Amino acid sequence: MRPFTYEVPSSIQEATSRGGADAAFIAGGTTIVDLMKLEVMNPSRLVDVNPLPMLGIQMREDGLRIGALEKMSDVAEHPEVVANYPVISEALLQSASAQIRNMASIGGNLLQRTRCGYFRDVFTPCNKREPGTGCSAIDGENRMHAILGTSSSCIATHPSDLAVALVALDASIYIQNGAEERVMNLDDFYLVPGETPDHENQLRPGELITAVRVPRLLWARRSTYLKIRDRESYEFALTSAALALDLNGDTIRDVRIAVGGVGTKPWNLPEVRQALAGKPLKPETFAAAAKLAVNGANPLRHNGFKVDLVQRTIVRALMNLGGLA
Amino acid sequence: MEQATDSGPDCEGGSSRRQFIRSLAAISAGLTVAAPLGRAAIPEESIPQTAPPNSGSGLGLVRINLKVNGNTRRLFIDPRVTLLDALRDRLELTGTKKGCDRGTCGACTVHLDGRRVLSCLTLAVMAKEREVTTIEGLAKGDELHPVQAAFIECDGFQCGYCTPGQIMSAVACINEGHSGSEREIREFMSGNLCRCGAYPNIVDAIKIAAAKMKGEVS
Amino acid sequence: MSTQIIGKPQDRVDGRLKVTGRAMYSGDRQEENLTYGYLLTSKVAKGLIQAMDTSVAERSPGVAAVYTPFNPLKLYHGLEPPEGATSGETLPPLQDQKILNYGQIIGLVVAESYEQARDAAALVRTQYQAEEPVASWEQGIEHTFTPESVDREKATVKILAEGVDSIDDAIRGSPLVVDVTYTEPIYHHNPMEPHATTAVWHGDRLTIYDATQGVISHRLNVASVLGIDEDMVRVLCPFVGGAFGCKGSMWMFSPLTAAAARALNRPVKTILTREQMFTLVGHRPALIQHLTLGANPDGTLQAVKHDVRSTVSFAKIFVEAAAHRTSRLLYKSPNIQVSHTLVRWNVGGPTFMRAPGCAPGMFSLECAMDELAVRCGIDPVELRTKNDAEVYPGRNVPWSCKNLVECYQLGAEKFGWSKRNSIPGAVQEGDWLVGMGMASALYPAHRNRASAKVRFQADGTAQVSSATQDLGTGTWTVLAMVGADSLGLPIAKIHTELGDSALPSAPTSGGSASVASVTPAIQKAAESAKKKLIQLAIRDRKSPFFGAKIEDVSYRNGELTGAGKSADFGSVLSGIGRSAVEAVEMAAAGEEEEKYAFHSFGAQFCQVKVNRWTGEVRLQRMTSVMDIGTVVNLKTARSQIMGGIVFGIGMALMEGTILEEKTGRYANANFADYLIATNADVPYIDIHFINKPDTIFNPLGARGIGEIGITGTPAAIANAVYNATGRRVREFPILPEKLLPIGANQPMISMSERS
Repeated sequence: MRPFTYEVPSSIQEATSRGGADAAFIAGGTTIVDLMKLEVMNPSRLVDVNPLPMLGIQMREDGLRIGALEKMSDVAEHPEVVANYPVISEALLQSASAQIRNMASIGGNLLQRTRCGYFRDVFTPCNKREPGTGCSAIDGENRMHAILGTSSSCIATHPSDLAVALVALDASIYIQNGAEERVMNLDDFYLVPGETPDHENQLRPGELITAVRVPRLLWARRSTYLKIRDRESYEFALTSAALALDLNGDTIRDVRIAVGGVGTKPWNLPEVRQALAGKPLKPETFAAAAKLAVNGANPLRHNGFKVDLVQRTIVRALMNLGGLA
Repeated sequence: MEQATDSGPDCEGGSSRRQFIRSLAAISAGLTVAAPLGRAAIPEESIPQTAPPNSGSGLGLVRINLKVNGNTRRLFIDPRVTLLDALRDRLELTGTKKGCDRGTCGACTVHLDGRRVLSCLTLAVMAKEREVTTIEGLAKGDELHPVQAAFIECDGFQCGYCTPGQIMSAVACINEGHSGSEREIREFMSGNLCRCGAYPNIVDAIKIAAAKMKGEVS
Repeated sequence: MSTQIIGKPQDRVDGRLKVTGRAMYSGDRQEENLTYGYLLTSKVAKGLIQAMDTSVAERSPGVAAVYTPFNPLKLYHGLEPPEGATSGETLPPLQDQKILNYGQIIGLVVAESYEQARDAAALVRTQYQAEEPVASWEQGIEHTFTPESVDREKATVKILAEGVDSIDDAIRGSPLVVDVTYTEPIYHHNPMEPHATTAVWHGDRLTIYDATQGVISHRLNVASVLGIDEDMVRVLCPFVGGAFGCKGSMWMFSPLTAAAARALNRPVKTILTREQMFTLVGHRPALIQHLTLGANPDGTLQAVKHDVRSTVSFAKIFVEAAAHRTSRLLYKSPNIQVSHTLVRWNVGGPTFMRAPGCAPGMFSLECAMDELAVRCGIDPVELRTKNDAEVYPGRNVPWSCKNLVECYQLGAEKFGWSKRNSIPGAVQEGDWLVGMGMASALYPAHRNRASAKVRFQADGTAQVSSATQDLGTGTWTVLAMVGADSLGLPIAKIHTELGDSALPSAPTSGGSASVASVTPAIQKAAESAKKKLIQLAIRDRKSPFFGAKIEDVSYRNGELTGAGKSADFGSVLSGIGRSAVEAVEMAAAGEEEEKYAFHSFGAQFCQVKVNRWTGEVRLQRMTSVMDIGTVVNLKTARSQIMGGIVFGIGMALMEGTILEEKTGRYANANFADYLIATNADVPYIDIHFINKPDTIFNPLGARGIGEIGITGTPAAIANAVYNATGRRVREFPILPEKLLPIGANQPMISMSERS
């Protein structure tokens, strides 16, 4: 860990003015302290945003608003979240461990960095960490890496489960820059790596995520998060699916679906949604629609199984949520 | 190098140094640990009140108060220091263990304002003015916390290294209301790895302790 | 032996220290004027270090020294296995610029604080002349050789029936043949406590607090590497935070730390990072096992051939005796051949890991037996019972005490094996395919020479001491129990001492041998101490027994009785003004080793579920029956078996170190990527003991228990996965993708393809 100064701003505006290329915000610390120890991130100033007024979980007219400093555990168990958006609660409860969920903030969760082992090891080339050095994963160990949204520069998987659920639900984030606030769709917020894998999202230096808004979606009460892992708990996803299902008897009226563990960003699946809408609730429908999820997939030496597994994950989630299992 | 100093006679609950000496007495009463016990206590005068000349971190040290197990301890500390290393290397509270230093094992679990967190990913400066509870602060004198007693009864450990983290996590698991079923306990205790494989016994211990704690409340 | 103490479930005597955080592990030592060491490790797997720039690190705040091959500390070559008490690393670090594996020690930074040492280490710049490493089976072909011996036998052991020329002839003559190959990755022990050394010099005397399975062995090995007399070294290790074999050898960071402490004249503490735990303190070698079983249609074995290839490093040889310790002896067959070859890779030193030989060997043998059972159409339990060996093959000596068939029977009954549907894929619960599997368990019983001291004290307590270790295994408690049993005292009156090289010598705690080795010495020392106590009592004028004949005075339950008088030992000692009377005794195995074979046995039964869509395997329940002789402490014995089984779950389903072929770097050297079982992965485990004392083995009748639990578990799981799905996974670990159908146009594990 490189030496740094520790700063505590007293307002959101002050915090954003203290931000910058040499600074990093810290909330729960579960990503940044880890990466600072590895010297993957080396801010010379650490700005503690915890005292800032970015709390609150409220069900409003336009949907659910979650303050960026709310802890994962508090959101996961909030009655409004559990009742209205089970997919959010389940995604959170299948993330990390109880301890980490008590520490990590919602804003931080959305900004967590990839678990790519090469990104995390400063002694290996990595375009995301050090642009232009190359990608070690493409010809290296890539079982856990992405098959969708990859480029010749980077195949790192986006690690957040919550983001997959939020993208499926068409959530937005509030971004503060000085006195200015903007709202951005979360799906648009994340960037695929392309030639610039170091640019992971549309946040500019000094900007702060202050809140998340999830649109009101009554039928999201029938939603789920299915996460496939080698072990039962405390592991990042091999594949995952966030799914909300609107049923009219045996017909699918509408679907929201995104998948995780396979994309360089949380992978929204509008094509799958379209393919399912208006179709009968039947396994054959599911399998055909799931195939669309892997359009453009680029499997590599060790992660080819994800092409198949993510389709199975989608079908299994649909079977479970549709009551066919 | 930053140093721990007791905050003086006005600090509540007595010094951890005294606790440390008490713990030595307890060791020799129970079983004889053949090891000479290192520095039993640091004489007050040997603690430099200012940082030694070679100790500058290049950037400023921060003066903080850490409230650990009811005692307020004053630290002059490098912001790089995690709560875990502050406890272990500065405050001689070595009950909290380092298993991975990366948030992947749970051995360093402590309570921060009553909630379980990983001290390896918590910077000490960020714990200032907050209530830190470690394994050393769980028992009331000689009376073990029900979870501690249940871990002994159910043999919820073998080597004992993950145990402080397991116990701190287990107390929180019960307090959070996550001990309703074996399945729930297993899931909510999965952030604490145990390589000796004591998991089923840990689950038993939590069931017993939860029942006891519930009885005590009602 | 009284049954009041032995065999009962006894709480750990060190339990209170462990649950209150007061048990002091090696990395917990606080020393006056302490400095912190942080190791620098190589980032290439083969080659030479050309240059190291340490200037920035040296100027970094708080740094006391930076040692490298260009500024080395003098260390000597380590002892070779026959000389050293336990084989360990022999090549000392920093003595040359040669790199033999990724993560090898290339330097040590010492600073005032841990953070200063860690962060200065990151400022050292190293230039390498890198070469392509050997890091795969293919690359290793040129580096394959036959070991001189394997488990004290030849590398190839042949037992052939009269008139049979070769094992291959015997196989060709068998009506049914199972011919299968199994592979396993490198596995890492990963105890929760990382290795740690705190080295303190007082003049030319060194005290080392080290996380070790053997304080005596560590003392000898550290002294030799430092070039000093072992009498000048004391090693202390009252608590070990898990070991599983990786703390059984001396690893070079420990004497390096001591040498730095000597050079700086200050105590130095070095704690390995989790990542360093993967390259610096051993691993279980990767294996390819080829097994051929020939049998009659009724399942009677006619031929067993088991060829093992296992990896070693370029600096250290360790033979993972997977065939010699399993197929060599477990089943009766007129023809048996086991063989072993070694392959060098550019990796850190391999070493023994929980149930060396048996854990991987029983994976392949017991899976192959399951495949044979299917081929013969015989129940797996019946197949094993039918082939049970009464005598040790090729030696024709009986086992001292073997009850394996009873393990099968009791296990099958407790588990409900009769309810198993032998047709693969026939049982489904919702989305999950359910299967049952079983396997035998096996581990040799070892007993080594050990000494112990028993001491009566004037305060009415007694002390039991031996330089053994408690790895979490429960030695503290078992020594107290055996001491209490031998002296007829309550456990509360016994003080135990261990984990100190100054105590009477005991072997390294490995191979499940500590209880078997040390307890006979305690029993002997207790008898001698009683005799000395009586002698003292009849010779001292102040004693109530003064003048009595030695044969008239007897000791029972803490009291001396004779000549019409009775007094407890404490008052006798107090009365004559003596603080204590003590005896040290040594005990070792005798001629019985020639006449018998010694093994522990067991049977493992389990039920798994496999998701029919996504292929995850989850263990649902497990029954384990163990034949390990006398159970000394029912509570800790059960825990030991449970722990072995949990290790086996990891081995079967999720563990495995990924070695990058091109770089020789481990790709998953951390706890987020090297997965071990979590609480949620472990179901209820039903454990039973046969509990028949093996008094031929030792007076207590207790064989070891630390390792056998892992054996058979992975095979039982793999066999249950087959029963659930109809798929044989012969490459560990059994990850979801290995169970998915080949080809993406197969949308699910369907009933039809499970025929």
